[in-house]
Amino acid sequence: MLIDIDARGLACPRPVILTKEKLAETNKPFNVLVDNEAARENVSRFAKSRGCDVEVSDHENCFLIKIIPPSSSSETMETTKSASLNETKKSTVIFIKTDELGTGDKRLSDTLMKSFLFACTEIDDPPEKIVLMNTGVRLATENEDTVEHLKALEQKGVEIICCGTCLDFYGLGEKLKVGKIGNMYEILSLLIAADKILSI
Amino acid sequence: MGPCDLDELLSRMPQTAHPMLLSSMSGKEDAAIYKLRDDLVIIQTLDFFPPIVDSPRLYGNIAAANALSDIYAKGGRPLIALNIVAFPCEISLDILFEILIGGYEKVKEADALIVGGHTIDDEVPKYGLSVTGISRPDELMKIEGAKPGDIIILTKPLGTGILTTALKAGFQTEDEIKEAIDSMCRLNRNASEILKTSGVTACTDVTGFGLSGHMLELLKASNVSAEIWLKEIPVFEKALSLAEEGMLPAGLFRNRDYCAEFTHPEEEIDQILLDLFNDPQTSGGLLATIPEENAETALSRLKESDSPEAKAIGIVLDGPPGKMHLKGG
Repeated sequence: MLIDIDARGLACPRPVILTKEKLAETNKPFNVLVDNEAARENVSRFAKSRGCDVEVSDHENCFLIKIIPPSSSSETMETTKSASLNETKKSTVIFIKTDELGTGDKRLSDTLMKSFLFACTEIDDPPEKIVLMNTGVRLATENEDTVEHLKALEQKGVEIICCGTCLDFYGLGEKLKVGKIGNMYEILSLLIAADKILSI
Repeated sequence: MGPCDLDELLSRMPQTAHPMLLSSMSGKEDAAIYKLRDDLVIIQTLDFFPPIVDSPRLYGNIAAANALSDIYAKGGRPLIALNIVAFPCEISLDILFEILIGGYEKVKEADALIVGGHTIDDEVPKYGLSVTGISRPDELMKIEGAKPGDIIILTKPLGTGILTTALKAGFQTEDEIKEAIDSMCRLNRNASEILKTSGVTACTDVTGFGLSGHMLELLKASNVSAEIWLKEIPVFEKALSLAEEGMLPAGLFRNRDYCAEFTHPEEEIDQILLDLFNDPQTSGGLLATIPEENAETALSRLKESDSPEAKAIGIVLDGPPGKMHLKGG
């Protein structure tokens, strides 16, 4: 479980202040972990008042609050619920399950993958997220060329999520150079929430 | 400390009883009332808390008005007060001076005297007063004595807990909550005088346990129930929207939990008004019960005086002690 804000042990209104700051800098979903009823209710109310969707789950005697900002540009984030715009941008997720693009000659497949990720950095409308699974995690660890492209994408605001189980399996956990680690639950949730998935 | 924790703690303390002691420990009195002579009682109170506004002078004003309020809630007249100060050595003494001047101003306004005090070094500043007042025994206002049919009156709007939380969070500035600050700075002196001469049957002041908690104490002590008209309760408008934005102080949840088993809201109740009902107050208004025939006159006198927001917010009923029926969605 990814925790973006750990607000355990903080008294109100601190958890709300942290949530407000986070919301000002991102329009992507994020998780807030709180350890008391007051913070759970206040953070949920605050997020809803800003037009976000809120999902609360129990998490080891604490509350995990998932905040899904209205899918709009960050400029509109400060406005209130009336501004939950429907002219939203489609959220596209690229789901990469291999370090080669297509099946064929290995050298060609490697080159194609490099060039695919490079192209992603060049297009006007990059995907919202890239999920790396199975040998796909090599693209964010061992493969220096693709690491560079993924870093460039991250700079542009693309969220890179690497499967934690896969990193462990290939012994690459220590070598992650870009993106963050996600578990199956989180990856599945974001795939389901996506408007469009490009599966590779 | 929340009301639940306090109950638990006090239940383990030996009970203080004395023929001359008119108040009791068990009722969570925040003032001791001691009979000196047949025609004279002494009232002793104590209250202090960390800053809730940025301006040290206003903080001093509010802390003093809040401490003096315990005397007024009993129908007493404050005579002398002692400062209680916790202050970090590394902060300029000019700030402390402003706080003390703020306290001095209010005590002077109350025609009482600050005669000294005690100061310690502490990380977080705290300020308050111990106040000594007097009253004639027959003029005392007590927390018990409400009768079925009495009208329940509240003299100040609710919402200071939410508004000061919003100030702390940077959601509001001191200027933006000026109305509430003015209210917290206002002495309950005139309201107390008016209630005393209106046949008041029970009275307390609304502070940290919120309207819910203090109402509960009053009803339990009087062995009665009440119907509360939520929509009639005076509130600071801004507190409503800030409650929706998650500016609820932690104490509000403690009060809500503490009163839950006594609180009976009708269906479709407005949740935000329920939040305000539980909002902990600083230097809140007086909560009093008055025979119905006197209520209208008392209210108009309060409004003409310095309690323009005073409202009738419910009626005392015969029923299980403490039970609160909340009406109005």
